[in-house]
Amino acid sequence: MAIAKAERLMNLALCLLGTRRPLSKRELRHSIEAYLEAGSDDSFNRMFERDKDDLRELGLVIETVENLDGEVGYLARRDSNRLPPITLDAEEAAALGLAAKVWQQARLAGAASGALQKLRAAGLPEDVDPYGAHGALEPRIPVHEAAFEPLMLACRDRRPVVFEYRKATAARPEPRTVEPWALECWRGHWYLAGWDRDRGAERVFRLSRITGKVRSRSGTFTADVPDVVTVRETVASWAGETADRSARIRLRTGAGYPLRAKATSVRELGNGWDELEIPYGHGLDAWLVEFGPDVVVLDPAELRADVVDRLRAVAKG
Amino acid sequence: MVGKPARPTNAIDQTRRMLSLVTYLKERPGARVEDVARAFGITEDELISDLDVLPLCGTSFRGGDLLDIDTDGDRIWWHNPAALGAEAAEPLRLAADEATALLVAARAVSTLPGLREGDRQALLRATAKVEGAAGEVAGASSRLSVTFESEGGVFADVDRAISERRRLWIRYYSPARDEVTEREIDPIRLVSVGHTYVEAWCRRSEARRTFRLDRVAEIKILDEPSAPPEIELRDLSEALVQPAAEDPEVVVEVGPGGRWVAEYYPHDSADELPDGGLRITLRTPDPASLRRLALRLGRDGRIVSPQDLADSARQAAREALAAYDGPQAEYDEARPGYGGVGAAFDEGRRPEQGGPGGASGASSHGVQDRRYERREQRL
Repeated sequence: MAIAKAERLMNLALCLLGTRRPLSKRELRHSIEAYLEAGSDDSFNRMFERDKDDLRELGLVIETVENLDGEVGYLARRDSNRLPPITLDAEEAAALGLAAKVWQQARLAGAASGALQKLRAAGLPEDVDPYGAHGALEPRIPVHEAAFEPLMLACRDRRPVVFEYRKATAARPEPRTVEPWALECWRGHWYLAGWDRDRGAERVFRLSRITGKVRSRSGTFTADVPDVVTVRETVASWAGETADRSARIRLRTGAGYPLRAKATSVRELGNGWDELEIPYGHGLDAWLVEFGPDVVVLDPAELRADVVDRLRAVAKG
Repeated sequence: MVGKPARPTNAIDQTRRMLSLVTYLKERPGARVEDVARAFGITEDELISDLDVLPLCGTSFRGGDLLDIDTDGDRIWWHNPAALGAEAAEPLRLAADEATALLVAARAVSTLPGLREGDRQALLRATAKVEGAAGEVAGASSRLSVTFESEGGVFADVDRAISERRRLWIRYYSPARDEVTEREIDPIRLVSVGHTYVEAWCRRSEARRTFRLDRVAEIKILDEPSAPPEIELRDLSEALVQPAAEDPEVVVEVGPGGRWVAEYYPHDSADELPDGGLRITLRTPDPASLRRLALRLGRDGRIVSPQDLADSARQAAREALAAYDGPQAEYDEARPGYGGVGAAFDEGRRPEQGGPGGASGASSHGVQDRRYERREQRL
């Protein structure tokens, strides 16, 4: 029966952590049952390389040392693998307990639990979290986009990527070569900021518009990564959150609560209508049209024209 | 990834866990299975499966240095803790992904408007300590960030009502009907998924309801005690909105500028059209509430069926246009080729993105959450 991978990885980790001198591949092969059963040298070598990579993903620092005879040996030194002393009180432990359960993405959920388990092993107090007692606060980070994990790894490792991207209004996707800087989740959607090589400029992409696979490109970044990458401000301006002007509308009494909530002034006209002054940012026309006959735009003329234009399109059907 | 449990059995996660387990158990001879499982955030079955693997691990399978760990199902005993050597059982440093996962989540929660100040401070202190302990691997955590949206004042009142077990009175906006209604609710928990919601027992409809905090127009904590019945809460691993099979079907055809509809509405099918648009089939308990979608789409799309929904959108647009007849009509004629937001967007400052069709954020999530709303009306 094939030996489970977790058992093999665990044995390799314990061997590398337990030794004071570098262990050669041959020694490791003879110490770990799964490697003896691996069959050919080739399949052992492949397995061994993969396992080392996996352990490095888990945070293990594995050194490669050549001895006087030219033989390569491996070890995981304690001083480079030890968690520095960390003391957390019960409140801090509870706060981390709450934070560790927010990821809904398998890889990061696993990593967050793993972090908490390492801290537990290091003496993190075990306590109930203040909300957990009655489960009254449940923050969740949603990740529905398939492009998330490859892009997260590419951002982490600073690797260029290629993907097919369909712009908001484009009929077909186009290939984009991007140096990925940062990912940000806003209102439940993920965005990527990075350097678009073909356009020679910074761009922000919405992950749900990436079609097909994200592929890594060899080589390193060519553009400098800014110290601060702002995604949310850009997306918020697309979403019309950064209004630089204001508009005057008439709104039917009792209708359009969200417009009232945003209004800078509301005046009752007394004839079943109110007059509102509201911030005018990108996309306001589409929003106002949703209220149908309950909204009339007074000015500016440009907004009025846009709304009429949209209404005509719907009226024509 | 949607709807799946967060932790499938995975050799990497199991290895990571067993390495910590070894350290943890060494300090705690005779530890209880129940307690260890809780401390590690796993089920007892998961822990038992780890305990099955550990006796096969050690520094060499030949010598007598395999870990002699066993359990009677209640307590866990390690008979040769010396097998590992004192040093090999020390807590391990955090991996880059581990530091990132924990730090990004902690920072996100700490920015939740309305969070209790004591908890926020605890999170900030813990974050700083974890950053320190993680060392250089903490750096990569700045490449991910998450913002939860919430109405701080409403959040704080709901949180207080839950902990004091008191009833709430709210005025709540329903976008599907564009109306504000009053209700009394018994709050159960706060859920943040992009936006923050309160899950509650609604006294008016005698049913479980979920309210988005930024739609609460007014809130008061009442003196009456909250008494929600024992009900099943939402499964948070699933999307908040799940249309039901018996819901009426709506067919929408959109041009390239209306493709966002497929991103925001759960749908049965979205078929490509030759012009780069989509034919989207979705189900909703209350098709009339989609009139707003039809109005919003403008020339970027239309309702194909049901016919009465398409007619009501057309009728609403005609009524609305009537108000513009008169002296200002020339504005409309002056801009014959204007293609609406979509066109403006495409070559605009940030060509890579639009909200839903370059939509206003406020109503774009409005659109999304209206589904939610309708679903709730149905329940």
